Amino acid sequence: MPAPGITATAGPSPHFVLICKALLNLGLFALLLGCSGCVRASDESTLEKILRTGVARVGYANEAPYAYMDSDQRRLTGEAPEIARIILKRMGVQRVEGVLLTEFGTLIPGLKARRFDLIAAGMYITPPRARQVAFSNPTYAIGEALIVARDNPLQLHSYTDVVENPEARLGVAAGAIQRRYAKELGVPDSRLVVFPDAPSALAGVGAGRVDAYAATSLTAGDLLRRTSSVAVELAEPFENPVINGKPAVGYGAFAFHKDDHDLVATFNHHLAEFIGTPEHLELIESFGFSEATLPGDVTAAELSREVSP
Amino acid sequence: MSLAEFMGPLLTGALITIQLTVMAALFGGILAILAGVAKMYGNAAVRAFASVYVEVFRGTSALVQLFWFFFALPLIGIQLTAMAAGVVVLALNLGAYGAEVVRGAVKAVPKGQWEACLALNMTRVQALRHVVLPQALVAMLPPASNLVIELLKNTALVSLITIPEITFQAQTLRAATLQTTAIFSLVLLIYFLIAMVLVYGFRRLEANLSQGLHLGRAH
Repeated sequence: MPAPGITATAGPSPHFVLICKALLNLGLFALLLGCSGCVRASDESTLEKILRTGVARVGYANEAPYAYMDSDQRRLTGEAPEIARIILKRMGVQRVEGVLLTEFGTLIPGLKARRFDLIAAGMYITPPRARQVAFSNPTYAIGEALIVARDNPLQLHSYTDVVENPEARLGVAAGAIQRRYAKELGVPDSRLVVFPDAPSALAGVGAGRVDAYAATSLTAGDLLRRTSSVAVELAEPFENPVINGKPAVGYGAFAFHKDDHDLVATFNHHLAEFIGTPEHLELIESFGFSEATLPGDVTAAELSREVSP
Repeated sequence: MSLAEFMGPLLTGALITIQLTVMAALFGGILAILAGVAKMYGNAAVRAFASVYVEVFRGTSALVQLFWFFFALPLIGIQLTAMAAGVVVLALNLGAYGAEVVRGAVKAVPKGQWEACLALNMTRVQALRHVVLPQALVAMLPPASNLVIELLKNTALVSLITIPEITFQAQTLRAATLQTTAIFSLVLLIYFLIAMVLVYGFRRLEANLSQGLHLGRAH
């Protein structure tokens, strides 16, 4: 074996050589990642960008019938993406690209980090959310429902029934509005179970992990239509909850980055010309929406206003 | 949808899972050796830097790190793609845990080896590179295979940042078909098969690298 050094400590300190090599390697590594992974932010507004490229990226959380990948995994569909396609086309954007987030709760952080240009997930307009993002005007209005085990063993027909029965455990999906309803109506935390998504919550009722799963009437109806399980059913009749003196009707809309005023304004302009037309009703019919779920003339601004408790 | 129809998306996802595992294992392995060696032989500043890296990444949740790299970094102007963010976080974690494995393995090489190198007039860098690390590498393999299998399963975390790996595909299929039991059973099986291949690979590597080594070791 060659022994080039005169003594073991001659020349530049071996520590020094080692450190230099390590730093060099780290630097190369960082550079490599930097080049492959970085996308520079520019001064161009989102509206200008999607008009120039002809592509808009929409974030969704795979929840039928609002926004989901159809069962052959070919096409993003649902109430929100289909409406977005039409409105964006009228604005001059030809293509809609879906960005799928497996958790509903990560949609708003994703939008703020500009991982996509808008949220098309039928997201309800609420004051806390409106502090984070800018909403379009609503495209639908719907009420609530409970999914329970077959024959509804605990006879749960409202949130109040859940509150009053000390045995009843209520499931909700993470990030969904029902968690807030449950809290405001007095369901204690110890009896509230948060599932990562709607299918898990449904499976939770089937497996007896919770006694009821609270969802919008559309989500509930859709899940029950598609499941093969006979262990679960819709709680009927169901008394829609009243929050702060107002019936808990959810208004679903598109959400945009707070800085994209021009995009929201243009989108709203085209939306107003489309909502309620026969073309709109025909489009949303297959997703279980109808004339009864039209939002009326409620605006995003009204729904975003904070209500004093 | 039947079991056979689930396989297409799940195998596409499995490919991405394997890709993530291999890339993170490569980068993470390099980081582990760098950080482990730096912790032992660096000067005070390098040692401190390596220690901070190891403790920060071992001491915080990988899931939260992932969210932070994906959702928070863009707010300060650094936009890593989902795949880059996933590989970086997984590799940094593996490197942090691996650094201690490297340190332990190098420490376990008998002191006589160092003394013999000194007697041969080798510099410390030469001794480390030609004599100590090759022996330590063999001792690292069993714990390293543990870490890499854990890495394989940790890749499931990146399903939360839009990377369509196998868990992500499973969640998508589940949302579409609601057949939770069938889909998750298949996913478990696929993870298990990939892990078995990894175990086999590490065994072979260990057998190859340790050939002839016992002859020269002082007992």
